[in-house]
Amino acid sequence: MNEIATSLSLESLRQRSKQRGEPAWLAAARERAWRIFERLDWPTRKNEAWRYTDLDPAWFALDLEETRPAELRQRDELPRAVRERLAESDAEAALVFEDGRLVYAHLPAELSAKGVVLSDLAGALEDHGEHVEGALYQAVTETGLQGPEDKLAALNAALWGYGAFVYVPAGVTLEAPIGVFHYAARPGKLSLSRTLIVLDDNAEATFIEEYLSEELARTHVAVGELLLRPGARLRHAGVQTWGAGAHHFHRQRALLERDAVLLDLAVNLGGSLARTEVASELVGPGADSEMLGVYFAGRDQHLDHYTTQHHVSAQARSDVYYKGAAAANGRVVYQGLIQLEPTAQKTDAYQTNRNLLLSREARAESVPQLEIAANDVRCSHGSSTAPVDEEQLFYLATRGIPRVQAQQLLVAAFLEEVLGRVPLEKLRLHIARIIEGRLSAS
Amino acid sequence: MTKTLEIRDLWVNVEDTPILKGVNLTLPRGEVHALMGPNGAGKSTLGKVIAGDPSYEVVRGQILLDGEDIAELEPDERARKGLFLAFQYPVEVPGVTIANFLRLALQARYGQEVPLTEFYGKLQRAIETLEWDEAYVTRYLNEGFSGGEKKRNEILQLMVLEPAYAILDETDSGLDIDALKVVAKGVNAMRGPEFGALVITHYQRLLNYIVPDVVHVMMDGRIVKTGGRELALELEERGYDWLKEEVGA
Repeated sequence: MNEIATSLSLESLRQRSKQRGEPAWLAAARERAWRIFERLDWPTRKNEAWRYTDLDPAWFALDLEETRPAELRQRDELPRAVRERLAESDAEAALVFEDGRLVYAHLPAELSAKGVVLSDLAGALEDHGEHVEGALYQAVTETGLQGPEDKLAALNAALWGYGAFVYVPAGVTLEAPIGVFHYAARPGKLSLSRTLIVLDDNAEATFIEEYLSEELARTHVAVGELLLRPGARLRHAGVQTWGAGAHHFHRQRALLERDAVLLDLAVNLGGSLARTEVASELVGPGADSEMLGVYFAGRDQHLDHYTTQHHVSAQARSDVYYKGAAAANGRVVYQGLIQLEPTAQKTDAYQTNRNLLLSREARAESVPQLEIAANDVRCSHGSSTAPVDEEQLFYLATRGIPRVQAQQLLVAAFLEEVLGRVPLEKLRLHIARIIEGRLSAS
Repeated sequence: MTKTLEIRDLWVNVEDTPILKGVNLTLPRGEVHALMGPNGAGKSTLGKVIAGDPSYEVVRGQILLDGEDIAELEPDERARKGLFLAFQYPVEVPGVTIANFLRLALQARYGQEVPLTEFYGKLQRAIETLEWDEAYVTRYLNEGFSGGEKKRNEILQLMVLEPAYAILDETDSGLDIDALKVVAKGVNAMRGPEFGALVITHYQRLLNYIVPDVVHVMMDGRIVKTGGRELALELEERGYDWLKEEVGA
C-alpha cells in the first residue's frame, strides 16, 4: 500500500525528471527505485532494524516539496537562524537551502580555482556531470541495511528533490569547513535531499551539514553519500536540530578506499522522531572510519540510531562511539552492527554505546551486534545505560549549583568523551548550548 | 541577625532507624568547633543532614542558619545561603574540570557572573596557600585523585567559595602529616569573624593544627558533652569508654 502514491506516480516522476532536464541514466535510476518503492511494504517492528521504532506511513503522505529553481540572496537576507549559524560556524564555503530551494551559495574564488566544487546537485549535474555520473548512487542506493531492498532508501533514490554536491580534487586540502544548511519554514511538506561528497586521492576536507527549523510538522528524508578515494581524509558532521513536530530520516554511507580516513559525527537533537543510519564500508586496506554520535532526547522525542561498520578489505579499522542522554519521557535507541567479510583479516573494529537517563520515564534501548566471518581480527563491543548519578548531583548541589544546571554539567561531561574527539570547537559549543536549552525546558 | 548555625532537637532516620536522636548544637561565626565521637555515633550523618543529603529523613527539629530554618531547603539553596560541606569521600565527576565547576559554583553563590580576574585571583591565592600545583584546576573534578588530593581539593573549594559556615567531615582521614598540615593551613586561613567551622573528626590529631574553640562529643546520636580544647586531649588519652559510663550511653 502506498499512501503517498495518491499524489505521485511513475508518470509524474518521469515528468519531473524531464522538466529538470535530468540525464537519461538518472531518470532510469529514479524509475527503478520508484518501482521498488511501490512494491515494498513499510518496515514494521517485526523488522529487526526497526524493532524499537514505530514508523507511521502517514508521515510520508504529505505534500511533496517540489524542486524549485535557485533564488540566490545576500547573506543578510537569509533567515535569522541560518545567519546566526553561518556566523557562528567557521564555514567559509556554504550552501543554504530553504524549504528545498537553494537560496545562498558561496565558494571562495581560490577554492574554485583549485577545482573544488560546491553546488547544488541539480547544478552539478549540468556543470560537472562527469563528476556526478558514476558517483551518485554508489554509496547509497535503494538497497537496505539488512535486506536487499529498502523502502525508505528507494523513496529517496526515486524522489530526492535537491541536495549538495562537493568535489575536492586530488591532493587539495581545505582548511576551513564547508557548511550546508537545510532550513525549513513551510509545514506539512515531505522533502527529500541527497548530498554527494567526493574526495579524490589524498584530498582533505571538513564538511558540516545542519538541519534547522522552528517547531513545524514536516518530514525530511535525507541521504548522504561519501566517497573517499585512496588517501582522502574527511571530517564529516551531520547536525539535526529540527524543531518539534519534524520527522527526520537520515541514511548515510561512506565508501573508504585504501588509506582513506573518515571522522564522522552524527548529532541528533531535534525533531519529534528521528532515525539516523550511518554506515561505513571499508573497501581498501589502511582505511580508518571513526564514527561518533551524540544525541539528546527531551520531552516527546524519539531518537533512533543505526550504525554499520562493514569491513570488506583486510587491515582496516573502524570505531563507533555513540553517547546520548534522555530526559523527561524522551526515548533513545541505538543499534549497531560490525560486519566482517571473510576477506577482512587483520581488522580492528570497535563499537561502544552509552546512555544516560535523567528521569524515571526516559528510556534507552541499546543493541550492539557483531557478525564476523574472519578469524584474525580484533573486535569489541559494549553498551551501557545508567541513570544520572545522584551522588554527583548532591556533590554539585552542596556547592550551590542548582539541579538543572548540575544535570546540564553532567550531560555535557558525559558527552565530552565523544565530542572531545571532534576538533571543531565552535560546533561543540553549539551542541552544548542546544542541550542546555533542552534540559532547561525538560 | 543571629550569626549562628544552630541545630535544635534534630531527629533523623535512615530507613526507619533513628540515627540522630535530638541533637542540639550552636556554632557561632568566628568560632571553630570540633565534633568528636566514636564510630557510628552519627557525626557524619549530622554533617550530611545539615547539607541537605536527600537520603536522610528529618523526623523532627530545626536547622537554623543565621536564624532561618533551612531544614526544608534543597542542598543547593542551603549552599547559596553560605553553607559548605567538605566531604569525607569527595565524589569523582569526570568530564568537569575543577576550574569550570568552581566558576559555576561561584556564580551560583553570588547569583551573577564573577569577573574572570576576580575568580582566578581567588583560585590563585587558594592554590598558593595549599601549596598545590595550578595544573590541577584543569583536571576533571577528583577523577583519579589520591585521597590526599581529594581532600586538598575540598579545601580549595572551601577557600574559593568562602562560605559562612563549613562542615569538615573527617577531612583528616587518610591524610599523612604533611597533607594534614596543608589542609589545616587552608582552614586556618579562612578563620575570622565571618566564618564558622564544624570539624568532624575521630582523632584529636587534626586539632593540633586546627585548634578548636569548643569541642562537642557525640554518642549514639546525641551531643553528650561539650567543653574546651582540653576535652579533645582527654579523649585522646582516655578513649571514649569512660565518657560512655559517665553519660550512661
